[in-house]
Amino acid sequence: MKFKSIALVLLSSLLTGSLLASGPATEKDKEWNAAGGEKDVAMTLTADRENGIEVYEVCSACHLLEGWGRKDGTFPMLAGQHREVLIKQLADIRALNRDNPTMYPFALKEAIGDEQAIADVTDYIAKLPMNPDNGKGEWNALAPEFEQGKKLYDDNCTQCHGDNGEGIADKFYPKIQGQHYKYMLRQFEWIRDGKRRNANPDMIKQIKGFSDKDMQMVINYVSRIKVPAEDLAPLGWQNPDYN
Amino acid sequence: MKNTLLLLSLLLSFGLSQSIKAEDAGATLYQNKTCWACHGKDAKTPMTPAYPKIAGQNELYIFNQMMDIKTGKRTNGSSNAMAGVMGIVSEEEVKAIAKWLATQ
Repeated sequence: MKFKSIALVLLSSLLTGSLLASGPATEKDKEWNAAGGEKDVAMTLTADRENGIEVYEVCSACHLLEGWGRKDGTFPMLAGQHREVLIKQLADIRALNRDNPTMYPFALKEAIGDEQAIADVTDYIAKLPMNPDNGKGEWNALAPEFEQGKKLYDDNCTQCHGDNGEGIADKFYPKIQGQHYKYMLRQFEWIRDGKRRNANPDMIKQIKGFSDKDMQMVINYVSRIKVPAEDLAPLGWQNPDYN
Repeated sequence: MKNTLLLLSLLLSFGLSQSIKAEDAGATLYQNKTCWACHGKDAKTPMTPAYPKIAGQNELYIFNQMMDIKTGKRTNGSSNAMAGVMGIVSEEEVKAIAKWLATQ
């Protein structure tokens, strides 16, 4: 009898467990961008520019002093990204909601500081002028693949990332114009294939049917979207805050 | 005699400047390829105790470890934090970095 009730409890917990795991999409949506935590705190704080410069020096070892990342896509450009996006991603990496073993120790409180440090460094990064020479895909505007990429973009991406890849700051949708091709390709693939855990479930759904070639064409197009001139640094610009 | 000495000193300084160049290359690569972000500017002060001090490490040993992480043969410990970066370092560059580290 006792065995039977234990078995029942086990069975029912297994069942609810599996039900929860495959739960309704709305639950997942909430998880993607759950309220509370460091993200919400950092968002309300006033940024201190001097401390932002100091904290960013840690980041600059990989993202470079200009915040431009690497053309080969190993490290993304951060300069000019919406502050909200930077806060969310940093908080996600810190909370282990986004796997990034290379960056993880640098994102920790011990390395860069508390919510105030997040507020300071993200404000500083968001105001840096963008890389005028980002890594691009192989197809220029004359190639049919460029046109197909543009069509894919217009049909699938503009609602969240905007007509020109500018994103929507207050919805945490990243700016993708001017980003390095190979970085975006890697993230897109991880999002499509379920490897990036903090991906927006709407995007996973939207790009589910994308082939590898579709992915390359759409990202090629995004890597070639023109960034507004006023957001770009001149070629060869060096960050004067670290002289 | 004088000429031989001159030639010798020329050869010596050439040899020296060559080896200094090689060392410089390793030191520059150590910074540019972002190694120092984790292992410290002096390669002795890693940013977390989970990461090794690598200054003064045997050249061959450190070369092999870097190559094993680059090629995916080594996946234990924190090597996954380094694997993603090794794509930007060629085998030649790994050699130069190993050589420089061994002299630190």
